[in-house]
Amino acid sequence: MKISNFMRAAVTAIGIGVASLASIADAGAAALNDIISRGTVRIGVLTGAPPMGMVDEKGNPTGYDVDVANLIAGYLSLPVELVPLTPPARIPALQTGKVDFLVATLAPTGERAKTVMFTQPYSAFNMDIISGPDQKFASLADLAGKRVAVNRGSSQETALRKAAVPGLEIVVFEDDSTSAQALIAGQADAVALPSTVGEAIIKQRPDAGLQVGFTFFQQGNSMATKLEDFELRQWLNTAIYLMKISGDLDKVAMKWTGRPMPTLPSF
Amino acid sequence: MSYTFQFGVVAQYQDEILTGIWLTIKLSVLSIILGSAAGVVLASMRSIQGGTVRFLVDAYVEIIRNTPFLVQLFIVYFGLPGLGLRVGADTAALIGMTINLAAYSTEIIRAGIEAVHKPQIEAGEALGFTRFQIYRHVVIVPAIAKVYPALCSQFVLMMLASSICSAISTHELAASAAFVESQTYRSFEIYIVVTLIYLALALALRAGLALVGMWLFGRRVARQAMTVLPEVPA
Repeated sequence: MKISNFMRAAVTAIGIGVASLASIADAGAAALNDIISRGTVRIGVLTGAPPMGMVDEKGNPTGYDVDVANLIAGYLSLPVELVPLTPPARIPALQTGKVDFLVATLAPTGERAKTVMFTQPYSAFNMDIISGPDQKFASLADLAGKRVAVNRGSSQETALRKAAVPGLEIVVFEDDSTSAQALIAGQADAVALPSTVGEAIIKQRPDAGLQVGFTFFQQGNSMATKLEDFELRQWLNTAIYLMKISGDLDKVAMKWTGRPMPTLPSF
Repeated sequence: MSYTFQFGVVAQYQDEILTGIWLTIKLSVLSIILGSAAGVVLASMRSIQGGTVRFLVDAYVEIIRNTPFLVQLFIVYFGLPGLGLRVGADTAALIGMTINLAAYSTEIIRAGIEAVHKPQIEAGEALGFTRFQIYRHVVIVPAIAKVYPALCSQFVLMMLASSICSAISTHELAASAAFVESQTYRSFEIYIVVTLIYLALALALRAGLALVGMWLFGRRVARQAMTVLPEVPA
């Protein structure tokens, strides 16, 4: 009797504990319901990195991310408010609640995954080393003693720092276009750019004689939610799956990069 | 909102932040010395020479004062290489800051020179001063003393504006902060720390400028330079 009383008390205590934990979890992870009851969805998209995200001649956000964000809003059946963000502003904007989630060409990294939660990849591109007309690089070892421009906080910066090429000087700018400008102005020997961005710049400035050296890694890009928004992440993963099998994502990839989306492992 | 502050992460990057502080101090002190010297020379030239010289100095002052500092930096860093003049990011920052500060100093000192009363110059002539003595004792030194508080404000503004130089890859304090942020994603912590550092630097700069003012012009001017809003000079 005594034991069963104790058991009952214990079960009740655990029950209360679980219920209160669940209510705490509810309070933190109601983002999907919040978005639906608010009636609009605020999506952070990348800006300043054509063709992934930029502004058109009328000043409206446009690009790969914007098309995907609009598709997502369509699946949610909600009007969308696009918030253009520069690369360093993406994660802070998400953390401070300025946007509900990011469709901002953000590459998952171990470090980033400590502060935001990633979906499965919705786009991918090669990360290229591009140089001027006077020299061409074929491997990371060629970059010894050279100045390479990167965009601050980007995955190419992380990858280059990790590669730790001896004598390689990493020069940091605010976005991809300023980094490319550093190469064109001769302030850097090379620039590390996503192939999509690199091809766009080579096409825009044929006079600069820029050339692609080599691809140093392939980057998949994920949407990102706040660390506690599991429901929202699961919903986004479902939507990405649907957009993959319907061919919508391939259409967006064809439109902006001229080739279908590369196949990447999902997680 | 439950955000847990973790200042320990920022403390790990102490050396990085100290490097940034040191470059900010170097850039600020050098640009203040060079910019204010250029300001004194340019303001004197336009008041003594007139004509074409005055027009050129005024054109320079107006072009710099009416364009964004960021654009000026981009022109020095990305534009000059096109003319065959390539300078590194630190030098480009120093050039940009000096050019900018020189224009503002010229304008402020010009106001001081124009505020010198004509009868004082005539009094100097009556006392048998040479032209150079009049210019030195009656015009330029009292003129700078009058506008010293305004100059100090401009110097502090320039020190704070040096944070913009991170856009051309100059690795000063703001760039250090951005680097630490990109490594740790602890934006709140690092920017709180950096805000306090800039505040401390600005107060220290004001105190230093007040000491320089006391040495150059005496106690009254120095006290005005310390106040946040400069008093109207008596």
